[in-house]
Amino acid sequence: MTAPVRVWARVLETRKASGDTFWIEVDCPSIAEQARPGQFVMLGTGLSDVAAPLLPRPFSIGAREADGRLGFLLRVFGAGTQRLSAVVPGDDLLVLGPLGRPFTLSPDRPIVCLAGGVGLAPFLFVGAEAKRDARDVRIVYGERTADRVFDPELIRRITGVEPDLRTEDGSLGRRGLVIDDLDLDDRPQLLACGPDPMLRACADLARRHDLPLQVSVEEHMGCGVGTCQGCVVLSSEGEWIKSCTEGPVFDARELAWRT
Amino acid sequence: MANLTQQLLGVTFQSPVLLASGTCGYGEEYASLIPLDEIGGLVTKAVSLEPRPGNPPHRVAETPGGMINAIGLQNVGLDRFRGEKLPWLRENLRSARVLINVVGHSAEDYEAVVSGLDSDEGFLGYEINVSCPNVKDGTLFGTDQQALAALVSGLRALTDRPLVVKLTPNVPDIGVYARICEEAGADGLSAINTFPGMLIDVEARRPVIGNVSGGVSGPAILPMGVYLTWRAAAAVSIPVIGIGGIRSGSDALQYILAGASLVQVGTALFVDPSAPVQVQAGIAEYMKRHDVARLADLVGALTIPGRE
Ligand SMILES: Cc1cc2nc3c(=O)[nH]c(=O)nc-3n(C[C@H](O)[C@H](O)[C@H](O)COP(=O)(O)OP(=O)(O)OC[C@H]3O[C@@H](n4cnc5c(N)ncnc54)[C@H](O)[C@@H]3O)c2cc1C
Ligand SMILES: Cc1cc2nc3c(=O)[nH]c(=O)nc-3n(C[C@H](O)[C@H](O)[C@H](O)COP(=O)(O)O)c2cc1C
Ligand code: FES
Repeated sequence: MTAPVRVWARVLETRKASGDTFWIEVDCPSIAEQARPGQFVMLGTGLSDVAAPLLPRPFSIGAREADGRLGFLLRVFGAGTQRLSAVVPGDDLLVLGPLGRPFTLSPDRPIVCLAGGVGLAPFLFVGAEAKRDARDVRIVYGERTADRVFDPELIRRITGVEPDLRTEDGSLGRRGLVIDDLDLDDRPQLLACGPDPMLRACADLARRHDLPLQVSVEEHMGCGVGTCQGCVVLSSEGEWIKSCTEGPVFDARELAWRT
Repeated sequence: MANLTQQLLGVTFQSPVLLASGTCGYGEEYASLIPLDEIGGLVTKAVSLEPRPGNPPHRVAETPGGMINAIGLQNVGLDRFRGEKLPWLRENLRSARVLINVVGHSAEDYEAVVSGLDSDEGFLGYEINVSCPNVKDGTLFGTDQQALAALVSGLRALTDRPLVVKLTPNVPDIGVYARICEEAGADGLSAINTFPGMLIDVEARRPVIGNVSGGVSGPAILPMGVYLTWRAAAAVSIPVIGIGGIRSGSDALQYILAGASLVQVGTALFVDPSAPVQVQAGIAEYMKRHDVARLADLVGALTIPGRE
């Protein structure tokens, strides 16, 4: 287990990566050196920023560089992500991490990442690490429309992987969903992150093909470190379990899939 | 550094700043983030006789200046608390004080938890939670004067450890409830727990919180907390612990001047785990600037113009 730290991190670079998505890099060696793919951080602006939303927000670690940089892919949803998307180089962000249980990569199977929307974020880190270890890794990335697609050039640069892109309206990449027309003949390990209906469809797919699947789930969080019990999801045993410490990555069989 | 110690509940607190129940788990989760043994202490998550499953999600959401939660007192229950959680507190907190937050459905439940814990080591005393808005009957004891008196005197007969009662803000006159606790043998009071509230997702036309309603905490409730602390402290001679929306030394000093001997920091921990240390430093800086030697000199030191 890693021990999370709390640190002010200097914003080094921000760039608009699509209509409503930003790529933000911060200087954060103490978290970078411990981080593992699938883990997340809580990002906030601290106690004295009284104009900002109060609580920090959870974000997957999207990249970790040897020089101590962390990268985050941030999509604007509401007031919290709006505030965070407005940071500029030189600003400081309060970062708590690394948090949560990472993906467990199978030693022998190829890895197929199923990314729905901003659920792409953890797979940038997974892709880069797997590529570095010369693993067979594929990233299937879906968005509703072309204008939301995170810059494919940046995906290639961060991960070294050529993404298999899909849009629901076919305006970019293949038309369809991330679970459509997948080549699963090499019996890969599946990793998925995205909206709930997509995760349910992935769980269904994994069951039908008898493939191992890990999912990264999202739930509202208070503390991010396991104290408030705010972030629970229902386990297959019918218990409420904390997604910040026992997740956010779960084996799909550990969870009850509500419809 | 100013002398932040406070004498109460039969012991010395090295600082007046404690962590509030439900926001610091059982301490261990914050071990790498908060120098726990350098603050005044902490109050554990509520402990009930049986484990409680808690409420469905969403359990937390944000509201301007605060948050709303409906955890439903999910906790490991008395046996696992004694076996798994208390030993860690015993080993790791030497100078900081531990209060155990206790809940129950009935007086017998509360009594069973207190008797089950009383001979264990590793904590100072109890904070009796009669004020949780997020479970059925959660505020029953906190709003029924007879039931409250009976509960506190029943618990008093069971333990010689400090007994602090955590009051609900949802009563017309908190002073009445404060006095009932004092007369029934309580050693101190905590004021306050969260306010009931509700948020609606207008797009979905559904409540945001799985439990429909929840408890509101954070900076937004600070003025209510200060007011109720002031009212409670004026009604009794036992010490009061001020809680609600504290995120700075000056917030804490509002409670102290209103009559609180100690304070608790809750929601602010989520914003920044260094909040309790910042609050402590802020109080020390104030004492230095105002040349105050002992923190006790500030407790209730409010002056109201025209009423000196
Ligand atoms: C483990 C984890 C990793 C995540 N990684 C990323 C990422 O890499 N990039 C990214 O853009 N987003 C990510 N998210 C989602 C992101 O945290 C939410 O979009 C954000 O919290 C929304 O805040 P808001 O104030 O903009 O939205 P609002 O809807 O205004 O938020 C209101 C409240 O709901 C909560 N909330 C709303 N949506 C979510 C959600 N999807 N997940 C958790 N809490 C939510 C907020 O925390 C806040 O308390 C992740 C979420 C989790 C749980
Ligand atoms: C997530 C959460 C869980 C809580 N759980 C408890 C609890 O188990 N017992 C209790 O007495 N109070 C509980 N509280 C109330 C706090 O201890 C405190 O009284 C309240 O939050 C006001 O302080 P704050 O504004 O500093 O958070 C909880 C509060 C929050 C936010
Ligand atoms: S967010 Fe607090 S326990 Fe998970």
